[in-house]
Amino acid sequence: MEDLLLYLTNGVFMGSTYALVALGVTLIVGIMGVINFAHGELYVLAGYFSALCSQALGFDPLSSMVVAVVLVFFFGLVIERILIRPTYGQEMYSLIITFILYIILQNAYLVVFGPYPNKPPNWVNGASDILGLFSYSNQRLASFAAAAAVIAVFMVVMRKTWFGRVIRSVAMDREMASLLGVNPERVNMLSFGLGCVLAACAGVILTPVFPVTPTVGVGISLTAFVVMILGGLGSLTGCIVGGLLLGIVENLGVAYISSGYKSLFGFLILILVLFFRPTGLFGQKRL
Amino acid sequence: MGGATAPWNLGRSHERRRGMSNYLKLMAILVALATAALGLAGSAMAEETIKIGVVGPRTGTAAATGAAFDEGIALALDKINGSGGVLGKKVEVVFEDTAGDPAKAASGIEKLITKDNVVMVLGESHSSAALAEIEVANRNKTPFIIAEAWHDDITKKNYPYVFRAGPCNSGVVNDAIMGFVKHYGFKRVAIFAENTDWGKGIKDLAETGLKAAGVEFTTIDTDTKSQDHYTELNKVKKFKPDLILAFVYGFGVHYLIAQAGEVGIVPSQALLLEGAGPPSLWPEFWKTVGQYGNLELFVSRMHEKVMLTPVAKEFDAAYQKKFGKPPTDYKSRSIYDVILIAADGIKRAGSTDSEKLTKALENSDIVVCSGQVKFGKEKGSYAYHQWQPPMLIVQWQDKKQVVVYPMDAKTGDLKK
Repeated sequence: MEDLLLYLTNGVFMGSTYALVALGVTLIVGIMGVINFAHGELYVLAGYFSALCSQALGFDPLSSMVVAVVLVFFFGLVIERILIRPTYGQEMYSLIITFILYIILQNAYLVVFGPYPNKPPNWVNGASDILGLFSYSNQRLASFAAAAAVIAVFMVVMRKTWFGRVIRSVAMDREMASLLGVNPERVNMLSFGLGCVLAACAGVILTPVFPVTPTVGVGISLTAFVVMILGGLGSLTGCIVGGLLLGIVENLGVAYISSGYKSLFGFLILILVLFFRPTGLFGQKRL
Repeated sequence: MGGATAPWNLGRSHERRRGMSNYLKLMAILVALATAALGLAGSAMAEETIKIGVVGPRTGTAAATGAAFDEGIALALDKINGSGGVLGKKVEVVFEDTAGDPAKAASGIEKLITKDNVVMVLGESHSSAALAEIEVANRNKTPFIIAEAWHDDITKKNYPYVFRAGPCNSGVVNDAIMGFVKHYGFKRVAIFAENTDWGKGIKDLAETGLKAAGVEFTTIDTDTKSQDHYTELNKVKKFKPDLILAFVYGFGVHYLIAQAGEVGIVPSQALLLEGAGPPSLWPEFWKTVGQYGNLELFVSRMHEKVMLTPVAKEFDAAYQKKFGKPPTDYKSRSIYDVILIAADGIKRAGSTDSEKLTKALENSDIVVCSGQVKFGKEKGSYAYHQWQPPMLIVQWQDKKQVVVYPMDAKTGDLKK
């Protein structure tokens, strides 16, 4: 029983990280129709920034994280203005542009930061005994709490605030929103920036657990795409459910079937969901 | 008339001038071309080199090996070219990044052989990549000396152009790891192996060795790309091992060690022996594994205090002089060694002809950092064209490296 509890706990932890990464991709796809191939590289960039801030500048963990997220937000705005905006309406172009960006960023990280893993210091050290059943890393628990908080705040912003309503209105009907006085270009820009912030939040929260390397972004992006399709293109709720489902299925698969084919379980569940429900778990474009 | 002549003259002189101008332009172009051609020929003559290809990962999970290779290459070229090169020519290295990907590796070595026209290829650090590369090298009849890909099949295929001057799985498991397990009397061993050619190969050998020695064991296969091992480690914990053999290469083993500490296995319940070596020496090791790195063990062909040959001392001094720090990742020395073997082979062959080179390599008898190189000549097993350097088992004790096996190279006692 304690084994199952450990597998589920770890599944929920991993799932929350998957959901957090996938939310940013989904937001950008849902509103702008842009598939950002470089999403994982923005995660990595935030990880590097937080490590640099804490190691080279001596910032405390929270300040390092805030600075990293803000820097990535502005970097995202620059990308949107220079690279993405000229491609609006031409999905293939934006796909190619972000793909090239991913290659450039990955190589730039290799040149600037070197091939070695990089991480900021842990916020908390050691491990806790969970209900006397198993030992679990304190940093993982802290990262889980932070990821859950960011997801909760994001959902509240999207559902309860004026800003969220504006974004959702553009996603539902761009022309009507425009007629009602919403500036779609500005919404696009802010949505892209917000998507980058989510990638950055995931980066700074998870880097103490999983250090960043120049190439780790590929796996991050792939997982985000799997979760997005699993949950249903453009569905934020789908992202959260899809992320948790993926995390739990992976862990149970490793525990009870085989640990050598961990990535296979994600694709199996994806195929099954798409077979029975081609639009994903929560349909599409329901923000 | 004058009016008629003037235009004629004018036209004539204009044409002549134009003709002269064209002539001068033509001359100028010819002179420029000749100068350029001479310059090119001159520079080609001045820069005529013997090209050697090196394959290895500069990207991917073991990109740090590429950095180590770069250091070793620089030192080897300093040594060889500093003493006049080989056959009167300087040696030049062309590096091809293989990222541990077999497809990339196969196209990379093909490019080195057919486009860059290298006379020999060296290197590699991933077995999956090397197994793809040996097919290309052998088909093209180009000598290929593997430095650090351990799978037995690389030399077991008995390809005439393929050599390995580095560890192989059988050598590492049978000589070093099993000797260590038996000597220190470990009773229950958990094998943690990545699902790559190297991981599967070394796992099979370890299982066979443990079974023969009557040691109880369990095996966990893990996805080489996975960063999270909590669930797998829980299975290991329940088995209650006193030793974990971690056959996970690259940064993945850092995550494994840290997480094994977090779930309470190492070092309190079991020691962990990392079967690949260099990742435990990479600069970010301690930052990633934290206190759980203490008492960790790893297989290595280098130790800061164990100098097997005078060449090792020479390498150590040259390394410290060039990079301002002591060498850590032993793969800088592995590639250094194979470049010395290659240069020696070319010298003795007196030619870059592949048949003569292969023959010369077969008869190698040269002292490098890790010992005296002599390749196996008898076909029928992995020992053909194989030279196994002696391997050490080192333990981190308060961030100091202590050799705990083999006993004749021991620098301290094993701590549990």
